[in-house]
Order: sequence, then structure tokens, then C-alpha cells
Amino acid sequence: MLRRALDLLYLGAGYAAGIFLVAIFAIMMVMSVGRQFAINIPAGDDFASWCMAAMAFLGLAHTFKRGEMIRVGLLLERLHGRTKQIAEIVALGIATAFILYFTRYAVQMTYDSWRFNDVAQGVVALPLWIPQLGFAGGLAILSIALIDEMVNVVVGNRPSYELGSPDETPDEFIERISQGGGG
Amino acid sequence: QTKWNLPAAYPADNPHSENLIAFAKDVEAATSGKLQITVHPGASLFKAPDIKRAVVTGQAQMGEVLLSIHENEDPLFGVDVVPFLATSFPDAMKLYQASKPAIAKKLDAQGLKLLFVVPWAPQGVYVNKPLATIEDMKGLKWRAYNVGTARIGELVGAQSVTIQAAELPQALATGVVNSFMSSGGTGYDAKAWESLKYFYDVQAWIPKDYTFVNKAAFDALDKPTQEAILKAAATAETRGWKAWQDKSTWYLDQLKAKGMNVEPPSPALKAGFQKIGEQLTADWLKKAGADGQAIVDAYKKM
Amino acid sequence: MANLGMIELSFILLGVMILLLGSGIWIAVSLGLVGFVAMALTTSLPLGAVLATTTWSASASWTLAALPLFIWMGEILFRTKLSEEMFRGLSPWVQWLPGRLTHVNVIGCGIFAAVSGSSAATCATIGKIALPELDKRGYDKGLSLGSLAGSGTLGLLIPPSIPMVVYAVTANVSVLQVFLGGFLPGVLVMVLYSGYIIIWSLLNPSKIPPRDPPMPFRQKLRESSKLVPCLLLIFAVFLSLVLGFATATECAAWGVTGALLLAWWSGTLTRKNFLESIMSATRLTCMIMLILAGAAYTTAAMAYTGIPAALATWVQGQQLTPGMLALYLSVMYIILGCLIDGISMIVLTAVIVLPMVKQAGLDLVWFGVYLIIHVEMAQITPPVGFNLFVLQNMSGRDTFTVARAAFPFFVLLLASVFIITEYPEIVMFLPKLAFPD
Ligand code: NA
Ligand code: NA
Repeated sequence: MLRRALDLLYLGAGYAAGIFLVAIFAIMMVMSVGRQFAINIPAGDDFASWCMAAMAFLGLAHTFKRGEMIRVGLLLERLHGRTKQIAEIVALGIATAFILYFTRYAVQMTYDSWRFNDVAQGVVALPLWIPQLGFAGGLAILSIALIDEMVNVVVGNRPSYELGSPDETPDEFIERISQGGGG
Repeated sequence: QTKWNLPAAYPADNPHSENLIAFAKDVEAATSGKLQITVHPGASLFKAPDIKRAVVTGQAQMGEVLLSIHENEDPLFGVDVVPFLATSFPDAMKLYQASKPAIAKKLDAQGLKLLFVVPWAPQGVYVNKPLATIEDMKGLKWRAYNVGTARIGELVGAQSVTIQAAELPQALATGVVNSFMSSGGTGYDAKAWESLKYFYDVQAWIPKDYTFVNKAAFDALDKPTQEAILKAAATAETRGWKAWQDKSTWYLDQLKAKGMNVEPPSPALKAGFQKIGEQLTADWLKKAGADGQAIVDAYKKM
Repeated sequence: MANLGMIELSFILLGVMILLLGSGIWIAVSLGLVGFVAMALTTSLPLGAVLATTTWSASASWTLAALPLFIWMGEILFRTKLSEEMFRGLSPWVQWLPGRLTHVNVIGCGIFAAVSGSSAATCATIGKIALPELDKRGYDKGLSLGSLAGSGTLGLLIPPSIPMVVYAVTANVSVLQVFLGGFLPGVLVMVLYSGYIIIWSLLNPSKIPPRDPPMPFRQKLRESSKLVPCLLLIFAVFLSLVLGFATATECAAWGVTGALLLAWWSGTLTRKNFLESIMSATRLTCMIMLILAGAAYTTAAMAYTGIPAALATWVQGQQLTPGMLALYLSVMYIILGCLIDGISMIVLTAVIVLPMVKQAGLDLVWFGVYLIIHVEMAQITPPVGFNLFVLQNMSGRDTFTVARAAFPFFVLLLASVFIITEYPEIVMFLPKLAFPD
């Protein structure tokens, strides 16, 4: 039940990120085509920027779970069994600590924006805490995904970011990428 | 020994940045190196929109920013960019004196101590065709980058176009935009003469950069160091105003030398702008309320 | 801790970076942590607040919004088989060259660079097409990965280019002039790459698979007619830019529109393909953006430490001729380029380098192109190189493996720096043609 809910959370945030990608595209096209017909999106550049930030952070947990967050695997790939598990726990522990710290201050910044009534400086004076929700929220969801993964590895499972089927060869990996799934 | 950071938004060779670097040197000399201020020009530490917030929250001890970019936050911060309120350097100085107490108080409430204020060059109109009257601006592709310029575009019947500053030169070159309002300096930096041939020196307003310090950081200094800062700040303010008066003429000469038609507005065009100016001043007064009215009254009395 | 020497600090940070990356910490997190350590050692400022401000400010960016769109465009083109057709259209013409289809990487990236302002997007788009195809035919993996990593960087040198815009604004020169200045050097780099591939192939004949069965001229033309939609797309995007329909950033959206139209026209725009292209582009963007956020924080931290400025001041103190200055700056930029991203590299050093460059009598448009080539090199040097990350993600190879494969192309970029320093006309010819003053 919890498992289902968490996976749905990561995927849902990932879809939201995808929607923001489409929104960036739509805003830019309306700005570009609109100019020919005297249509202007007030502060369109600001809205596109905010969509960009929302997209970048909301999709993080999904990207992480899918194993598409990159790292230098030089050493880890050579380890096996218990040593590998400990190494993974150390890496996950450091990453979790840092992202939690990051999240804490992203939330603080968003809260401050609301508290100080910080508004956008362009043509549309949107309160900044609104677009910053995607930033802080995306990081919070990534924190949850990292803790989730930490628990997963501590109980002895293989990290879920280690991709698809357990014995995938490099050729299969490239094949999978070339079929479009893997970024 | 104390080390401070001073994020600034404009390139190192901009007169504002040069003035800040001179200010930092003055402070260092006056305190025999006890306070070292590192200037980070060109938005290399924080970008313009983030500088004020960074100083408020102690991420940097000092900062310089074009205060009018924060006019959405508080209309008083936009007093410099009310069109045709103060159109010459002496007037801009008067407006600064009239508005200083109120603005310093606003900044103080956010934990900032205002140190000094330096103007930019007066704002004019860059355009691709001659303008005889304000009606000629109808249908222009007009760059709108803040509330004021968007409203001007709306009032003259131009088509507002949203373009980021970084993309302005390219937008000019390809005709995405064919008119915008800015100072002689910005047009010079953007090499406006490569695409636009006319600059109307309407002197709509004179925006100003405000340099401030985090109050807690300032209070933590000993008395002599504080005094050294205030003294250097006063020097920097005088130096900055002088530099920009020289510089604004220099910029216009440069535009002329590059083949632009730099002209004062015709009486008809000027009258048109004045009318818009009145409308926008009324707009602003409505937002800024009694505080705004008090500033304008004090200014008019000077 | 404030009295910690600059050199000690640099070594500590380098050590921390290597340790973190080596122990398999995600690259974005490692970068962020290095910035954290740098700031913690040198300042008493609120680290967390700086982290939040700089990362938010770096991500909420209009110009960056072109990146996911160009990536998405590539994802759409990939799913339409149009990418494959482009590959098939180019390949019959390079079969006779030693190195055969490897040249498709160079030419494909060169063509795509004319619509993309980003190196990572160019690398990702052409890589998606070419990597599996070259692999299937048994080409040497080192050569195909290396040439892709190297050629992807053409996205920055052949206009439009995001870092060129950043440079032009910082250095106060005309964007168009820098764009024009980059064009011929872009061609030069392509020639160098292809030349290297030819020589390598002549030296290693056994590592190049046999040519595809020969094809009559007519059929070659027919195959190449498959290139037409691609070229049309590029032409349309280029036209949207030149005719003033779009800014450099917005032409990315035109690229997506063009790609969608082509997909619809070729009947491959299924619902599934469309959704997959979005999610795939989203994940690749998120991966790159978190690294960019980490880099933004480290960049700010470095500005606090003063290390980049100290390095530049040291170069300034050496009393140099323009040629020597260019050489010293090259060394500095190559070292910086290993650690920070290209745009930060431009912004961070501009303060001290630009006045120095002016004083030495170097032309600022020329210097812009020179600097962009160093930014290109930065894309393929470890540990922080965006093309390496993209290819690591796409090929499943390690960053350092990809970097080793890319090393010859790094050397060729360096060679092109020497060539444009010796013959500045290569850069200045087009800008002078368009702006005769
Ligand atoms: Na390009
Ligand atoms: Na690098």
C-alpha cells in the first residue's frame, strides 16, 4: 500500500514535470507566433522560467528511481555482496543528508518569499512562493525517494536505480535507450 | 580583519561597478585593511533580482541594485521610474533627497542600511523610424520589461513584446523588436545603431542604483570602521553623480558617432509624452498612496 | 580558517571532489558538497540560504528553457525514424572516406549545431541516432563515443549558441558578430575532426568495419532525399530566427513544432511515442539541471573563496605578449573547465580577464570565439563535462571511459585554438564582412 503510494508520488511528480515541459513549449510558441498577430503574453519569459524550474525539480525523484541520475561508477561497479551494500549505503547516506539539507533551505526560501511578500519583478507581479513551490516540492519528493531507497538497500535489496532487469547487458541497455525508454 | 562581499549586477567596466570598486578601495585604505570588501560585478555572485534578498538574509553583507526593479514589491521603490517626474540630473538629485527618508525607512524595516545612491543616464526612446508625434508610435514592436514600459506601450498603442535583456541585441537585429526605452548607455552596450537609426532623448526618467549594507553586519563593526564606510559612501555618491553626468553626454556622442540620429523630441512628441507621463504619475500615486504623495509634494517644493 | 591559503584550499577542494565522485556519490550532489565545503572553510555566511538562492536563480531561467526543448525535439525526431533516415541519407556519401560512418557523427552534429544552442542537446540528439547504428555495424566504440562527444560541442561554436550570448552580454560586444565569428572556426573544427578520423582509420584498418554494399549513384540520391525533411526543418528554424519570428531561445520551440509536424506527416506521431518523448526529455533534462544547480552553487561558493579571481590575477601578473597571454589563459580555462560549467567559467573570469585581454590588444569578438572553444573543451573534460554525462547516460559507459575516448578530440580543439591564434582572420573574416567598420 505504502509502496504503491510512494511510486505513484514519484511518477505523478514526473508527469507534472512533463506537463511543465509542454507548458514551456506552448508559452514560447504563443510568444513567437503571437508577435505576428499583436498578441503578447505579459511576462511570458518569467512564466517560461518558472515552468523550467518546476520541471527541473519535480522530475528529480522519477529520474532518480529510473536510474538516470548519473554518477561515477568506477569503484562501485567492482564491488560485490556485503561491501557493495555498505558502499551503496554510504553513498545514499551522504546524498540523502545533502538533499535533506537542500530541501530544508529550499522550503525556508519559499516560506520566506511568502513571509516577506516577495513578488516577481516583471510585468506580472506574481508572488514568488507560488513558482517556488515546485522547487521546494520537487526536492522534498526527491528526499522521500532517497530515504525510501535507503530503507530498500539497508534491508538487503538491490537498489532500484540499478536499472531494469538484474542481468541487463550493455548492448541491451543501448537497445533500450534506442527504443526510447531510457533517456 | 573582516571580509565582506558586495554583489553587483553590471559588468566590471560599467561606471557603477567602477565606482563600487573605488569605494571598496577607499574603505580598505581608511581602515588600514581592517575591512576588505570584495566587489563581485557582472552578476557573478548573485543576479540582479536576488541581490537585495541576499543582503537581507545575510548571504552577502553589502549589495548594489537598481531599486526600481523591486517596484512590484513596494511602489515607493519605483519612484525613480515615474515618467517625466524628474528629467534632469539636478531634478533627479532633488527627487532623491525628497524620497530618501521614506526609502531608507523602508529598507531599514527589511534590515538594510542605505549607504549611497548613484543615477544612470536619462531614458530615451530607440526606434527604427522618425517620430513626429506620439501617434507615430502606434503599432511599433515595443519592448515591455516592467510595469511602466508595458503601460507606456499600452497607452501609445504599440504592440508590447516580451524580450529578455540578454536577447535584446539579437531581437533588434532580426526585427522582433523595433523600439524600446532605455538610457544612452544601454543602447550603446546593445549596439543599437546596428539595427535602429533614431534615438529620441526624451529624458523620461533617471533610474538609480542603491547601495546598502546588512544592518546587523554594519552594527557589528567598531565605530571608526563604521565612520570610514559612511565617509567613503558619501565620496562614492558624489563621484558617481559626477561620473554619470559626464558619461551620459559621452554616450550620446558615441551614438551620434556611430551614425544614429540623436535628437531631442519635437514639441508635439514631447507634449504627447508629457500627457502619458501625467497618466502614469497618477497611476503611481494611486498605488503609492499618502507616502508617495508626500514625496512628490516635498520634491515639487524644492 | 580564514587564513587558509588559496593553494591549500584549492587542493583540499580538489581532493574532496575526487573522493566524493570516486565513492559513487551522484555528480550533482558531489558538486553541491564541494561548494558547501568551500564556503564552510572560507566564510561564516549562511550556506543553506546561498544554496537555495543560487540554485533557484540558476534553474528559473529563460535561456535554459531552450535546453529541454532541443532535447525534446531530438526525442521526437528519434522516434519518427527520421533520425535514422538522416543517418541513411548521409552515410552513402562518406563510405569512401577512411573511417566511413564515423564521419556521420561529425557532419550530423555540424548540421544539428546550426539549430541548437547547446552542446549537450546536440550530443544527445545526434548520439541517439548514431550511437546504436554505429554499434550495430561494429564500429570502434572509443572512436564513435569520442567523435560524438567532440562533435557535440559544435553546438556551441556554430551559431546559435547560448554561451556566445552570455559572453557577448558580459563582454559588451555584438552577439551577431560573435555568432558570425564562430561559423568558420566551426567548419575548421569539423575538418580537423574528420581529418583525425581518416588518419586514425588508416592506422587502424582492422577496427573499421567493411563498407556497406556499394550503391548506384541514383540510389544514393534517393537515399539522400531522406535528408530533405531534416534540412527543411533546420532551414525553417534558421529562417524563424533570421526573419525575426523567434529569438534564439524561442527557435527551440520552432524546432519542436517542426519535429512534431514531420512526425505527424510521416505517420509516426502515435500517442505512445508522443508521451514517451516527453517523459524521456524530462528525465534527461532533470538529470542535467540538477548538475547545473550543483554547479551554480559551487560557482557562487568559488566566487566567495576568490580562487578563480586569484588564478586570473596570477596570469595577469606575468607581463605577457598577446600570444603568451592566450596560452596562459588556455591553461587556466582548461583547468577551470574540468571543474565548472562553461557559462559559469565565462561569467566568473570575465571580471579580470576581459580588461586584461583588451589591454593586450586582442579583439573581443575573436576572444569570444577563443573562449567558446575552451567552453567546448570543458564539455569533454572530466570530472564535470556535460557531453560526458550525456554519453555516459546513453551508452552506459563510465564518465572517465567516455572522457578517454574524447581525449583526441580535446587535443584537436586545442589545435584549433592554436590555429585561430596564429590566423585570427579565420574568426574575423565573416564579422568584418558583415560589419565593415
Ligand atoms: Na549552435
Ligand atoms: Na569539464
